[in-house]
Amino acid sequence: MTEELVVTLSALETRFPDVVKKDERKGYEGFLVDTKNLVEVATVIRDELGYDYLSSVTGVDYLEEELLEVVYHFYRSTGGKSLVLSVQVPRKKAVVPSLYDLFISADFQEREAWDLYGIKFEGHPDLRRILMWEGFEGFPMRKDYQEAFFVEDQKPFANRWPEGKVFRSEDENQFGKNVQYPKGFDKPKKWDPEEEDLLYAGLQELGKKDSGDLATDHVVVNMGPQHPSTHGVFRMAVVLDGERIVALKPVMGYLHRNHEKIGERNTYLHNIPFTDRLDYLSSMVNNHGYVLAVEKLLGKKGAVPERAEYIRVIMSELTRVSNHLWAIGFLLNDLGAFFTPSLYAIEERELILDIFEATTGARMMNNYFRFGGVARDFPPGVLEKLNSIVFERLPRKVDELDVYLTDNEVVASRTKGVGVLSPEEAIAHGVGGPVLRASGVPYDVRRADPYSIYDRFDFDVAVRYHGDCYDRYIIRIDEIRQSLRILQQALKDIPEGPVLLKNPYNIRVPEGESYGRVEAPKGELGFYIVSDGTANPYRYHVRAPSFVNLTALEKMCVGQLVADAVVVLGSIDIVLGEVDR
Amino acid sequence: MNETLAFILEWVIKGAVLIAILLTGFAYTTYFERRFLARIQIRVGPNRAGPFGLLQPVADGIKLIFKEEVEPAEAYRFAFLLAPVMTMVPAVVIMAVIPWGDKVVMFGREIALAVTDLNVGVLYLLSIASISVYGIVLAGWSSNNKYAMMGGIRSTAQMISYELALGLSFVPPILLAGSLSMSEIIQGQQSSAWYIVYAPLAAIVCFIALLAEVNRAPFDMVEAEQELVAGYVTEYSGMKFALFFMGEYIKMAAVSAIFATMFLGGFDGPGVDTYAWLGPIYLFLKIFGLLGLMIWIRATLPRLRYDRLMAFGWKVLIPIALLNVFITAALIVGLGI
Repeated sequence: MTEELVVTLSALETRFPDVVKKDERKGYEGFLVDTKNLVEVATVIRDELGYDYLSSVTGVDYLEEELLEVVYHFYRSTGGKSLVLSVQVPRKKAVVPSLYDLFISADFQEREAWDLYGIKFEGHPDLRRILMWEGFEGFPMRKDYQEAFFVEDQKPFANRWPEGKVFRSEDENQFGKNVQYPKGFDKPKKWDPEEEDLLYAGLQELGKKDSGDLATDHVVVNMGPQHPSTHGVFRMAVVLDGERIVALKPVMGYLHRNHEKIGERNTYLHNIPFTDRLDYLSSMVNNHGYVLAVEKLLGKKGAVPERAEYIRVIMSELTRVSNHLWAIGFLLNDLGAFFTPSLYAIEERELILDIFEATTGARMMNNYFRFGGVARDFPPGVLEKLNSIVFERLPRKVDELDVYLTDNEVVASRTKGVGVLSPEEAIAHGVGGPVLRASGVPYDVRRADPYSIYDRFDFDVAVRYHGDCYDRYIIRIDEIRQSLRILQQALKDIPEGPVLLKNPYNIRVPEGESYGRVEAPKGELGFYIVSDGTANPYRYHVRAPSFVNLTALEKMCVGQLVADAVVVLGSIDIVLGEVDR
Repeated sequence: MNETLAFILEWVIKGAVLIAILLTGFAYTTYFERRFLARIQIRVGPNRAGPFGLLQPVADGIKLIFKEEVEPAEAYRFAFLLAPVMTMVPAVVIMAVIPWGDKVVMFGREIALAVTDLNVGVLYLLSIASISVYGIVLAGWSSNNKYAMMGGIRSTAQMISYELALGLSFVPPILLAGSLSMSEIIQGQQSSAWYIVYAPLAAIVCFIALLAEVNRAPFDMVEAEQELVAGYVTEYSGMKFALFFMGEYIKMAAVSAIFATMFLGGFDGPGVDTYAWLGPIYLFLKIFGLLGLMIWIRATLPRLRYDRLMAFGWKVLIPIALLNVFITAALIVGLGI
């Protein structure tokens, strides 16, 4: 336990004797809090101890102990290690007080825990399903929930290769065996999911506050799920007064595949290619976060050779550059520039993808990181190409983008002062990455809580102070420049040596919990893993940056015009693969 | 053959030729736009169908004809069917008053290279141009779709703001030529200089207002893809959609022709006095250049926001255009141009 945490613990224990206890389970580092004191403790943590950034809220189902646990990860927005709180409630009566009033970032994450675990958060103003569809029956992440084609709890499934022959479980297990229907579903004509009504009722309620003396009608417009500029199947239910937005609710889950349940069926190594599919524009950073979480649990067994650490940093930063190029290009598209800026940005991204292809074998779904290293070394010739890109071409091209776009009158008039998020609001909403830093909070996981070998490099944390869409655009240019600085240093210093000492195919991870977090291009990406010592993770949770950043969408959009909502969404830079998981 | 019949025949043939040129020319405007955009955007563009992709517009046309026509259940059918026609027809008939050249001698007759030469040609242009907005409004309203309706409302507001500036920007050429007839405006430019020299400000205002008139970027609020999906055409498919498309591109060519006539001397060019057939070629080149400019603008600029567009129209363009009318009038009186 770090010194910082000891101080925190003693502070908490003196304030709340018998209420806050050190988590004594093997491999756990947090504190157990009594349900009824949770809000009180959280208030103290926020106001007196300075843990003002609630990064992650998630549930864990301890079936054997008949307990559901809610795990909170708090951080200081000035940097430092985490403070982990856990609340345990009986499975039969899972009710936990909501932290919505203290940390708005709990909004979507509590809804997710309700959706997937059936943990009721008392005091949450809008506790509806978020990822599963409206009429879904049951709570899929509970350990006793079995999906329609259920075979076994954990992979590898014994029945897949009987005597070496291919076998598909769908052929044997007819659809319907495990499907649970909500009440009244056998009369589909009468059946009407109430969640959708709740959504519209909530919207009308929000819209009402705004109307003046003159009686005017509002229009409800569903932007999405099929809409050209929602960057995927994402829906914004918007109440409009003329063209002005008076209320907005994001609706998501159209791409939901229950990534976490799949992750708990898989073995640890199985999961790496699955993480590629979260934020498919920056798959290697996802790899990095996941591997980091598992390596923390592995301890010495997960030691990474020096060269592999450098390759990891190089790959992560290249990913960041390519992601930001993409984000800038498509933000300009959302502004109505007809593909020209985005195609110029994509041209540079293609060069980076060429390097990925040469090294990892894939352009997007890289599946490259392993526990204790990376899958393979750079093939011959790639480093030279990389050097020419990083030292010559990219700096020039970034300057070019900067010159063309930053001073453009139309871009400035469309984005300046639009979708403003103040620093306090940004922290309260738990947004991360460029969105947080554009609001004037210089918080970067690479600096605040260094992982891998980021503490060796000389770079600045890019920060801008207006919190509007213009700053969220320009900060991405700044970050590309900083990433290039890191890349240049890494390429100069990269040592020779092995990249992977031993590739453990079926790894057994010691018991315990761990939270691996990295600075993904879109914000703070966290992987919460609970291991019970078997070959499969007991709990596998992804704290997806796009998902949490969307919490602030409503705040940024209300009062703006329809055209601005599109720009705000573009400036958050979401990828539906990780929003919906 | 009696004179009246010959006159009617000549008129019908000229009209038919013009319509034929416009309807095929439209297809190749889309081809030109796609290839030129692609060049700007470091792409190749359509190059598979036929040599250099020249058959691409044909393939597109065939595809659109065979597409299923979907009609929304709650649409107001009459207006829904009327709307594409109302956008398409004005775009074609507006070209009637544009002179393509001076008189040429054919089949022993002296034939003017214009469908007609109205003595109030400019008024005709303005009035026909404003009709086509009804098509857009009707389309938006009748298709019972919120995006389409918002597109329709936007187009009404946009049209009101820009029609005024457009009308005012036509005044300096009218004053300079002393006539509302298109052919006399061209004669005026042949005898002095192109009016873009005398009234550059009016030319700029006119070009901006014309861009807004044809709903081209950066004024494509009406069908703003990122905001309104496709605006007023959201619910249209198949040939009805193609009609809107046609209307838009023909109008692009039409407004280019109008601008060329008002400010760039129309069919005027070196040697046109001796070889009258050079007239249409010069005009075509001017239209081609203006189309290229429009496409270039589309590839370069992001879209303005709706409220800023209104503010720009009312607070900047109209005062400038108005001021320009006074300046031109004062110069004409003072210098006796």
